Amino acid sequence: MEMDSLPNGNAAASIPAGTTRISPTHTTPSSKLTQLTESLKLEHQFLRVPFEHYKKTIRANHRTVEKEVSSVIAGVSDAADSDMSKDDAFQHLTSLVSRLQGLKRKLEEGSRTEHLQAQRCRARLDHLESVDAENFSEWSNTRLKRILVDYMLRMSYYDTGLKLAESSNMLDLVDIDVFQEARKVIDALQNREVAPALAWCADNKSRLKKSKSKFEFQLRLQEFIELVRAENNMRAIAYARKYLAPWGATHMKELQRVMATLAFKSHTECATYKVLFEPKQWDYLVDQFKQEFCRLYGMTLEPLLNIYLQAGLSALKTPYCYEDDCTKEDPLSQESFRKLALPLPYSKQHHSKLVCYITKELMDTENPPQVLPNGYVYSAKALEEMAKKNNGKITCPRTGFVCNYSEVVKAYIS
Amino acid sequence: MVLKCSQLVTGALHINIVNRKVKMDLNPIKDAFDRVAKKQKLSSSKAQEVIDQIMQEIENAVERIRSEHSGAEFNYKSVLDELNRKLQETSPLSQLEGTQKELNIALSKYPKQLEKSFNPDISKAYRNIDFDTHTVNQIIASHFYRHGLFSIGDCFIHEAKELESTIAMRSMFSEMYLIIEAMKDRNLEPALKWAAANSDKLKQNGSDLQLKLHRLQFVEILQNGSRSEALAYARTNITPFASNHLGEIQKLMGCLLWAGKLDRSPYSELQSPANWNTVADELTRQFCNLLGQSFESPLSVTIAAGFQGLPPLLKFMTVMAGKKQEWHSMKQLPVPVELDKEFQFHSIFVCPVSKEQSTDENPPMLMTCGHVLCKQSINKMSKNSSKTFKCPYCPSDIDATQCRQLYF
Repeated sequence: MEMDSLPNGNAAASIPAGTTRISPTHTTPSSKLTQLTESLKLEHQFLRVPFEHYKKTIRANHRTVEKEVSSVIAGVSDAADSDMSKDDAFQHLTSLVSRLQGLKRKLEEGSRTEHLQAQRCRARLDHLESVDAENFSEWSNTRLKRILVDYMLRMSYYDTGLKLAESSNMLDLVDIDVFQEARKVIDALQNREVAPALAWCADNKSRLKKSKSKFEFQLRLQEFIELVRAENNMRAIAYARKYLAPWGATHMKELQRVMATLAFKSHTECATYKVLFEPKQWDYLVDQFKQEFCRLYGMTLEPLLNIYLQAGLSALKTPYCYEDDCTKEDPLSQESFRKLALPLPYSKQHHSKLVCYITKELMDTENPPQVLPNGYVYSAKALEEMAKKNNGKITCPRTGFVCNYSEVVKAYIS
Repeated sequence: MVLKCSQLVTGALHINIVNRKVKMDLNPIKDAFDRVAKKQKLSSSKAQEVIDQIMQEIENAVERIRSEHSGAEFNYKSVLDELNRKLQETSPLSQLEGTQKELNIALSKYPKQLEKSFNPDISKAYRNIDFDTHTVNQIIASHFYRHGLFSIGDCFIHEAKELESTIAMRSMFSEMYLIIEAMKDRNLEPALKWAAANSDKLKQNGSDLQLKLHRLQFVEILQNGSRSEALAYARTNITPFASNHLGEIQKLMGCLLWAGKLDRSPYSELQSPANWNTVADELTRQFCNLLGQSFESPLSVTIAAGFQGLPPLLKFMTVMAGKKQEWHSMKQLPVPVELDKEFQFHSIFVCPVSKEQSTDENPPMLMTCGHVLCKQSINKMSKNSSKTFKCPYCPSDIDATQCRQLYF
């Protein structure tokens, strides 16, 4: 409050000066923070997936309670309505009590799972909140590992995913157990079994219906095809009546096409039907399942790695990346990265950005670009250093041209 | 006046608060989640309560039936009826409804909040091109090896069946990590051996890594061993560097005077453990360089660039919602994506007049005043060199024939 004694003009001048002097040392520049916020906003899946998992457990536990309680109540009313003997009534009621005890145990177990999953949701929020300028490089390292684990799980490289998560102590930050559920279904589909996939559909019936998924229909079609392949026509027809007919209202075309295989049989050469018998239909089902699974949990359909790789490659891609003298530090100097970037667009810049050929540093007002008489441009820092070492002589590293430092002129780039 | 000053002070404080708050505020989301967890606890304890209540009722009934005298046929029936009526009346399931409803509200609110605060679909700007899995897997395996995660890398190539392609990568980096691991145990022998074997290439790159390693060894001997031993080491190993690093060597010889008490000498910084890390970093850099690899893992760099580059692309896609088709065929990103300077590997010149990037056909030209434009812009403004024109940035008159092409 000593400022009060200062003349008005002085006070006004001294405060802003003070703040500008202080703020850069105490807080990160706000543009950096905005950028950080923008990249944090990309982490929707990171929070959404464990929540969906948590929600699923809550719902399942609740359903168990509802089911058991209502059947106990029905049991009581049945007993009241029937004329069972006293001993039977006694037995019946005692069995209902032990059933309720079983339910209680189950519920306690369910609560523990719920608690763990809630903790996981919190751990993720805390992880997002923990990032700041000081730990940023370590945090980004973890972020890359998270993305890699996501890739491993989606590609069914489960061992690697688990190993990576365990070695980095980040099991709470990745969705290994969520994918355990998917693994069962995928493994079965790869063995040409649809039962676990159908069970999964039944578990998630209402949500699949809401998203108008026809995955169950596709599974049913495949089962039907397998019956036709085995020439089990009567069973195939019975199967179709029971499981395919209900989809007729919405998917008549597909239904008709599949029914026609009864006439064409599995060794048909007619392309429309032949394709239905191909083994790749099963791979297609696996892909379909993965998509449905990801959609249900709020995950992106593509691995995160692919999404970030694509964005990163586009942002880095310039025509100069494909030249022979591209610096090793540029990922696009590597053949594999170039290959991935090939179908992607080039980056776009609105402002010039000049990198000194010698020091690889950005040239700006503090380290301005300077032009040799032969038109080659280097940073002031690099040329000063060279002049100091060589008695004021400058040698152009790209052409061998030699001149005096005094002949060098400054270029103004806006 | 006093008022004005305090206003200024609060103003300044306000700026600071705003600065700090620019980082995403997760508190509302945390609160929303706490609500979910709270409602879940309530609902779950209510369920427990209801179950206990039913169990109590049934157990009572069981007790009453048991304690009845045999022959009282009529009574146990009335107990059952009473129990049934009670359960129908209390209707346990409807008791659960209230808490369940509240829980459901919280459960449906939270994901909505997430969708509002975060970007719900980051694949909006994804082009549906198939990345070649084999190439991606190779990149990942190299990344693991590059970071010394050998067992994870091995597990990965086994699971992904990418054996052959990455073996070379593995052996290159395993040598590097043997050297670095040894350095962590203060054993410089492998590092010195490698540096000696590659001394010509290191010199070509202008690296004095070899001297730095010898210096570490010298200081180590001086701290643990005798002065004469250190001197002998310096004579055989360090003197060959005398021609270029005289000052450095004089300093090391000065250390000999302080043998055993280096920490109290003017040279104490030479024994700082941080030196080991800097030299290890330098070794990694040189090692990768000689392998033709970058110092940073290219995968780390690309993904980090992706995190910076994706938000502006997503923003653009929201604006362009109906034109997804165009996006898939674009040869250049439709919006500028500004990356930090550590991602700047090439000089890009954008003509300030035409806003176009320079090319071989349309190179940057230095005007006599020192400002730079692209050739086409100069041609336009000078009507194909037929007249002089004014520099758009300063009052100079420019003669197009006097402009010089620049090479960045």
